[in-house]
Amino acid sequence: MMDTEKFLKSAEELLSPLGLPLSRSASFRLDAIVTTDTLVPAAKALMDGKWGYLSAITGLDIPAPAPAEGETPGENHMEVLYQFCNGPAVTTLRITVPYSKPVVPSICGIIPMATLYEREIIEMFGITMEGTPNTDKLLLPDDWPDGVFPLRKEFTGFGTKPAGVEGA
Amino acid sequence: MEAQTTTGKFVVPIGPQHPALKEPGHFEFTVDGEIVTGASVRLGFVHRGIEKGAEARNWVQNMYMVERVCGICSHVHATAYALGVEQLAGVTAPPRAQAIRELVAELERVHSHMLWLGVAAHEGGFDTLFMYSWRDRETVMDLLEAICGNRVHYSVNLLGGVKYDIDDKLADQLRKGVDFLEGRCEHYMKVVTTDETFVGRTKNVGKMSKEEAYELGSVGPTARASGVDRDIRIDAPYVSYEQFPVKLITDDAGDLQARFVVRIKELYESFRLIREILDHMPEGELTVKVPRRIPAGEAISRVEAPRGELLYFLKSNGTDIPDRVKIRTPSLCNWSSVVNYAVGHKLADMPMLLAGIDPCFSCNDRSVTIHRGGNVQNDWSWEQLRQYGIAYYR
Repeated sequence: MMDTEKFLKSAEELLSPLGLPLSRSASFRLDAIVTTDTLVPAAKALMDGKWGYLSAITGLDIPAPAPAEGETPGENHMEVLYQFCNGPAVTTLRITVPYSKPVVPSICGIIPMATLYEREIIEMFGITMEGTPNTDKLLLPDDWPDGVFPLRKEFTGFGTKPAGVEGA
Repeated sequence: MEAQTTTGKFVVPIGPQHPALKEPGHFEFTVDGEIVTGASVRLGFVHRGIEKGAEARNWVQNMYMVERVCGICSHVHATAYALGVEQLAGVTAPPRAQAIRELVAELERVHSHMLWLGVAAHEGGFDTLFMYSWRDRETVMDLLEAICGNRVHYSVNLLGGVKYDIDDKLADQLRKGVDFLEGRCEHYMKVVTTDETFVGRTKNVGKMSKEEAYELGSVGPTARASGVDRDIRIDAPYVSYEQFPVKLITDDAGDLQARFVVRIKELYESFRLIREILDHMPEGELTVKVPRRIPAGEAISRVEAPRGELLYFLKSNGTDIPDRVKIRTPSLCNWSSVVNYAVGHKLADMPMLLAGIDPCFSCNDRSVTIHRGGNVQNDWSWEQLRQYGIAYYR
């Protein structure tokens, strides 16, 4: 457990020059809120400081809650989490983007292997990764319709029923 | 796909119906004569939308679904998921349950590595080793069946514990099986390090340096064969790995042979761990109660699957259905290493290099239902089927 604390402290030190809001969401986790301007410098700070490795990029769809009577609905957002692991410690860089401008800078310039993870986010959530080297489909079929992003909450299937099934 | 549009290059497409790997994947190798100069990968031919499906099922149902992500390492998926949910619910499974989780995880690793040994040998045209290692793998499959009744999808985990206990009779059976397998693995170690044909196909083939392994984000035995000292069982011990620790196995060679050596040495470690757990199994309950509704929050859970680090990210909104289940499997990380170290090798080495990272593929079903016209239908046991086969070919 001592190690965990040591690792998290060093991550805090690496990220502190950027002035990011930091929080501890669990005993082994550090969360840093980044923006489109600070994402790449934050990833670079962790990599330059030899702080672990990028373990995963997770996308989250956060639709605005249903509006109360007479109010205008809030805007839907998506969040991208960059999970870096170092021993038992996990540092997450969290960036939130609105549906109206779903653009995140690519981190492939710093971590080239992130290309597969970024391709997954692009096709599953419809987030543009600015400057990513390859935007070919990775997982979805070639004939998947444009503009349909399966991991957004609004997607609930194509609404077709298999031939011969009654009342489905 | 951009490789095809490049002029003056010859592209050899392999797959998705792959002659070597029994799993659909599409690779494009740019070649100059025999030598590969570029490689690209296209996945998703068996994409089943499990992460999306998880958002429409409750926490308990998802347990059974995540076991079906993979037919080989189903137990680690369920373990990672259960640990994540337990983290959110603020409960810890009892020590005996944790020890049984580790025991089954190590048996699963034995089964997975032996399966891989056979497949990799087969890709190298060495079918005798393939047949022998798969014959011996039956021993560990039988042991897993003795524990839980299933050869695949052991379904040992519950949220908050495990379903199956290990009694003395079963422990003896496990010890005997492990003793036999250890003897066999010593033989395999001799084969992969001394057999001339085999060494010729693996030594100095598909080399990846430690720096490259770090840069490409390789995980598991693939990374450890390049000297990367990373193993979640040691770095972030989960279940009972703190009580029954595993020794780190690495190799500095970084070639295909090292990937064989590392995996076989990991088998020795698994055998040692299995014996140790059986000898010092903690007493007590198998389960604790987990609420149906899981408190809102986020959890990250990481385990060491046979192929490397497996990461689960869970988000709960306080209901009985998860808001998000993100699964990052080890094979995804390792693809970038293959695409990279393939360059400069002969096209004929590709099947073995692809197999070298141990990409995942499904196991077979073995219950056979015989239809003899009309409505007559009966299920045959393995023994009946065997006798039928003997009589048929007599």
